[in-house]
Amino acid sequence: MAKTHALPADLTIYAVGDLCPTLLGWVGAARGTADFRVNGAAVDQVDAAGVQLLISLGHALCRKKRRLQLVQASTPLATACRVLGVAHLLDTGSTPGATA
Amino acid sequence: MKHDDLDSDYIAAALPAFISEAEEQLDMLEQLLLQLEGTPDDRELLDALFRCAHTIKGSAGIFGLDDVVSFAHHVETLLDAVRQGQVALTPALSTLLLQSKDQIRGLVALASGAPADEDPALATDEITRAALVARLRVASGDLPEGAAHDEPATGGSLPTASGQRWVISVRFGADTYRNGMDPLAILNYVAKLGTIQRLACDAEGVPPLDSIDPESCHLAFDFALDTDATRSEIEAAFSFVRDDCVLQITEPEPRPGAVSARIEAMPDSIRLGDILVGSGAVTRAQLQQALQSQSATVDAGGQAQPLGQILQVQSGLSQQVVAAALQKQAKPRAAAAASATAAASTANDNRYIRVQADRLDAVINLLGELVIAGAGAALLARQTRSGALIEANEQIGQLIEDIRNGTLQLRMVPIGETFQRFRRVVRDTAAELDKDVALEIVGADTELDKSVVERIADPLMHLVRNALDHGLETPAERVAAGKPAQGKLTLSACHESGSILIRIDDDGRGIQRDKVLQRAWDRGLVEPGVVPPEDEILKLIFEPGFSTAEKITNLSGRGVGMDVVRRNIEALRGSVNVFSQVGQGSRIEIRLPLTLAIIDGFLVGVGSSKFILPLDGVVEVLENRPTATRLDARGRSVVELRGQVLPVVSLRSLYALDSPDPLRSSVVVIQAGTRRFGVMVDQLHGQHQTVIKPLGRMFRSLRGISGSSILGNGEVALIFDAASLSQLAADVPDASFRSPRGPGVAGRPASTSLEG
Repeated sequence: MAKTHALPADLTIYAVGDLCPTLLGWVGAARGTADFRVNGAAVDQVDAAGVQLLISLGHALCRKKRRLQLVQASTPLATACRVLGVAHLLDTGSTPGATA
Repeated sequence: MKHDDLDSDYIAAALPAFISEAEEQLDMLEQLLLQLEGTPDDRELLDALFRCAHTIKGSAGIFGLDDVVSFAHHVETLLDAVRQGQVALTPALSTLLLQSKDQIRGLVALASGAPADEDPALATDEITRAALVARLRVASGDLPEGAAHDEPATGGSLPTASGQRWVISVRFGADTYRNGMDPLAILNYVAKLGTIQRLACDAEGVPPLDSIDPESCHLAFDFALDTDATRSEIEAAFSFVRDDCVLQITEPEPRPGAVSARIEAMPDSIRLGDILVGSGAVTRAQLQQALQSQSATVDAGGQAQPLGQILQVQSGLSQQVVAAALQKQAKPRAAAAASATAAASTANDNRYIRVQADRLDAVINLLGELVIAGAGAALLARQTRSGALIEANEQIGQLIEDIRNGTLQLRMVPIGETFQRFRRVVRDTAAELDKDVALEIVGADTELDKSVVERIADPLMHLVRNALDHGLETPAERVAAGKPAQGKLTLSACHESGSILIRIDDDGRGIQRDKVLQRAWDRGLVEPGVVPPEDEILKLIFEPGFSTAEKITNLSGRGVGMDVVRRNIEALRGSVNVFSQVGQGSRIEIRLPLTLAIIDGFLVGVGSSKFILPLDGVVEVLENRPTATRLDARGRSVVELRGQVLPVVSLRSLYALDSPDPLRSSVVVIQAGTRRFGVMVDQLHGQHQTVIKPLGRMFRSLRGISGSSILGNGEVALIFDAASLSQLAADVPDASFRSPRGPGVAGRPASTSLEG
């Protein structure tokens, strides 16, 4: 089973600078073609910069023929994705905030 | 000169008049609101209140003061609802309207170029204003309850028309995050304006992870918004990123009828472009482009293509919308013409001319010089012993006196205008202190010199606040003391003996003399154990650093105020006194001269020195009597006047003048308040028009002297202050009288009465 990476609690402009290399490491280590699962359950603070970083992650994975899937996205994260028009990143089957 | 230049010249020249009139309207608005608190259903007052707001808005529109117009529009809307009976004028609403009045005053001050006021009530920042707008709109039913807290800083938001679908495209700039802005928060706010449909994020603009600067913004969105909001309101949602984003707002199906209706509901404006932008018919950018095009079409005769036509071609604006905007534009111009006619009519009715205070001051200064020069000419004429010349000079002198009286009368204003300001102070301060206080104003039409009025306002403010803070009790304390729950504060004014007497009475707890004395001992103001006379104890509250407040409040009680109050009053040649009964209340009595410029004086001489006594205080003269009164060490004595003992003071002794006592002298009888006393002088020179000049620093500490004057021959005469001179004379003389010449009190002298 493909590894699931977990996002930190802070997914805001204050954290994206440090998080970017981490995500690059995840992408570099990624193998196979299955959906790249990222767990968003811990995210309790999110802004557009944080979501933008996830979009950027999605682009990087796309180059490797892989698709980003946010699983168990917290309500703040799911809401932010919907407001910003990137709800397609959410795995609706596993996202608590998906139907909220 | 182009038409626009003429307009701007006219506006610049007329702006000070607008500022002045707006301030008057705002004062009236405040007074009406305060009056309405007692009679909230008074239709006449409500109509007058509405007219005030309407006039301010209309006049501001003529001068292009958009912020004033937009804000006053909301006040006007609410007042209209109040006078129609749709909204009740509650105390809370009254407070909101008073705060709104403060806001308009701040905006007007800003328009006048005045520096920003430190008073937080006059803060004119957009956030404060937007919060007030939201509250006004909620109060008038224009916004649902609770919306006030979420309302952004839209400032001049406008009434909305029916809902429609806007298409919005926004591309945020790279620095958006670094500037502290968050597109997520902005979209969340936009969502509150209506319903966001078909939102699409342009994710293609976001670089991949290996090349992204995560702190730069790369987001862009396209969406539709179904909303009742205007273009301005939608634009306002992006106001914080307006310089950092590319924003396009388009109305796919413009409905000219809806836009026209919105134009009709807008505040009046004289600028077509403002009307069109404000109604959302065109964007500010489209307007700028059209104005540039208009400038390019100016022909040799200075005529340009109409703006409406250009916008129809360039922006597809409908003819119906242009016509509605032109009609709206014509309204304030017609109103201005009507207002000018009405103003002319009013001016005719009341025969008032508005004159700048500076010009009047300049005339009064010149008048002072004329009085001195006239006195010099009269002196020279007397020296020539030419009867015709003396007579001609006397005639000129009489005319100068008439001009003087007439001119000084021009500066007289009723003190009521100053008193009325305290209604708001009493209302707000009492509320802050949880006290219930009724303010009574007596003698509001008492007139005094404008410069005195202006300078007495601050000391009065302190005394009123002091009475509210320390004097008057809370309702519970009052009831416990057997008084009505509502306290009473009375501000009164009247003329008395050529002075104006202002009293501040309260029916509060009064001043406890023992507490005052104890504090004076503690502070070293009085030597411990020494008990001054009863009426002197209360005066200790005016000593620097004195305070009996058990807790310091932000209103008073810091012990830095009352001495400043006394100093300010004395600087006006006035005096202040305090009376109090424990449990019954206190009275502060301020006595001020009617004018600071020129007075009628009575010129007297002692040796070679000349002095002037204010003629209003001179009652009679005991002329040419033997100088045989026994004096104490400070030159005080008594004489008998029609069977009564009259305290007298010798100027020679009091001021240690180097001249021998004459064989015969005169006593000028002075009335100061309730006291009557005599001043012993050598010569009586009679009535003298006195131009008051300030005392030099050296003489300011001299007791009894309030100013100086230049006589016609160039000599300087000192002017006495009757009240403080009376204190010097009224003290009980020492038992050890000295007798410069002969024994005892002289017999009855010849008496010349100056009383009518």
